[in-house]
Amino acid sequence: MEHVMTAIRVVPLDSYLVLSFLLFSIGMVGALVRRNVIIVIMCLELMLNSVNLLLVAFSAYHSDPGAQIMVFFIMLVAAAEVTVGLSILVLMKRNTDSVDMNILNRLKW
Amino acid sequence: MSALILISVLGVLVLYLGLFAKKSWLAPVGILGLLGAIALFYTGWHINHPLLGGMVVFDRFSIGFNIGMAIITVLIFLFGPDYYARKEHHVAEQYALMLFALVGGFILTSYSSLLMLFLGIEILSIPLYILAGAKKHSLRSNEASFKYFLLGAFSTAFLLMGIALLYGITGSFHLDALAAHMTQSGGSDLMLNFGLFFVVTGLAFKVGAVPFHFWVPDVYQGSPTLVMTFMATVVKMAGFAAFFRFIDMTGMPDALARIMVLLTIATLLVGNVIALKQTNFKRLMAYSSVSHSGFLLLALLSDHGLEAGHGMAVGHTLLYYTFTYSLATIGLLILFTIAKRANNGAEHNNIFQGLFAAKPWLALCALAMFLSLAGIPLTAGFVAKYQVFLLAIGAGWLKVMLFGVLMALLGIYYYIMVVREVFVRPAHTVTFVVSPLNWLVISLCAVGVLVLGVWPALI
Repeated sequence: MEHVMTAIRVVPLDSYLVLSFLLFSIGMVGALVRRNVIIVIMCLELMLNSVNLLLVAFSAYHSDPGAQIMVFFIMLVAAAEVTVGLSILVLMKRNTDSVDMNILNRLKW
Repeated sequence: MSALILISVLGVLVLYLGLFAKKSWLAPVGILGLLGAIALFYTGWHINHPLLGGMVVFDRFSIGFNIGMAIITVLIFLFGPDYYARKEHHVAEQYALMLFALVGGFILTSYSSLLMLFLGIEILSIPLYILAGAKKHSLRSNEASFKYFLLGAFSTAFLLMGIALLYGITGSFHLDALAAHMTQSGGSDLMLNFGLFFVVTGLAFKVGAVPFHFWVPDVYQGSPTLVMTFMATVVKMAGFAAFFRFIDMTGMPDALARIMVLLTIATLLVGNVIALKQTNFKRLMAYSSVSHSGFLLLALLSDHGLEAGHGMAVGHTLLYYTFTYSLATIGLLILFTIAKRANNGAEHNNIFQGLFAAKPWLALCALAMFLSLAGIPLTAGFVAKYQVFLLAIGAGWLKVMLFGVLMALLGIYYYIMVVREVFVRPAHTVTFVVSPLNWLVISLCAVGVLVLGVWPALI
């Protein structure tokens, strides 16, 4: 385990920060602008995984295993969340026969 | 802690009852279990030690909120038998999912580690995504469910990013470590401010603060009314309890306070102004919920500038405000369901017409609850708003407080518009069918709002 930690510490912490912010931003922009619902869900996953990357990097730099437990929780919860999300999507696909974001415009103010 | 386990097991038990098609047993069993949980919380009032390796702590604040949420859930369950009277399948799942969401709410009121904050929010939200889509063949319900899912997952990502950044600075998920770091550094670190900002964004999404409110009206309108009641009451209580725990621990540095002021002002303004032109009652209640979030944010804001230890006053006000708001909302939404059935499924504000002529007592109850939401004296809503304004003055937010008073006056207008409908004679006769249980819950809510308004010390 220790040599993995040392390997992670070869790259400076700032680079991890920049990379994970970059991934987070890509996910965020994708979730906001893409019209295909499945791609939006993929972008949400990308956002969660950029956080995982950051947590692992911090964990190695703090020499504290707490964040790695957190990563497992995030992966678990993300799986549960996507299970629910995809089943709702299947329901919508059955009712409207489309996976485009435009199906989400019946409720307006 | 034992109450948490009790409610989780109760959810599974309710699922099994559904398997054996005992539909009439579901609500009584759920209510019995919830009363047991309330008793457990009550007996645990003096136990104040951290559990699960210091990740949750059931202090007085959290036990007060937990008992409040359990009582509100009991009232919602009392509404259940009538609401699901014509539904044969998948009733047990809905009760069970509400119980599971309640467990998430209990965790949110008592977390002392950011890991538990994340888990609590997810345990609360994931059952709600399913519940919002409970009407499987209704396109609006599907849409509400999917919108809630997308925005919920989006806000969770923000929350997690904030938690990761805060972890990066302090090296621990524990709130005490964060608080210690805040006092030590004075809160001038860029990464720290980014972390706080991201966490607050995630929490603001959950409580429906402007500019993260746009899902509220859509999701509330599309969800089944019973689920909407749950979302507007229990989820709001849990969300603000979690928000308060976080804010109270960080001590709110100035950068965060500036963001909170903007959030408060925007929420008060948008919630009240857009509510003025709503004609669909569910959307009106959704915007009313947003505007009440604004007043609750004002109470949170008062935590800034208070000395440590005075935070309990803010916590007490939050509990009083959310509990009385929840009482009024439950009663009105049950009345809405009755009126909607009487008018063949219409949701316009004018479905309440003729209520006074047909059921004078229920009309008076409606009057009491609307006046409480509007904040007219002698009702609990007035005392709640009064306490919030008092706190805001004490913390030195005079301008924000004056703005809040102005918005409260504006808010009276749209509640009175609906109250007027209650006393209007309809063009054609409408028959309202009220089951005894619903009558009881509405009366309880209305009387509760009045009693708590006259004797606020009861909470």
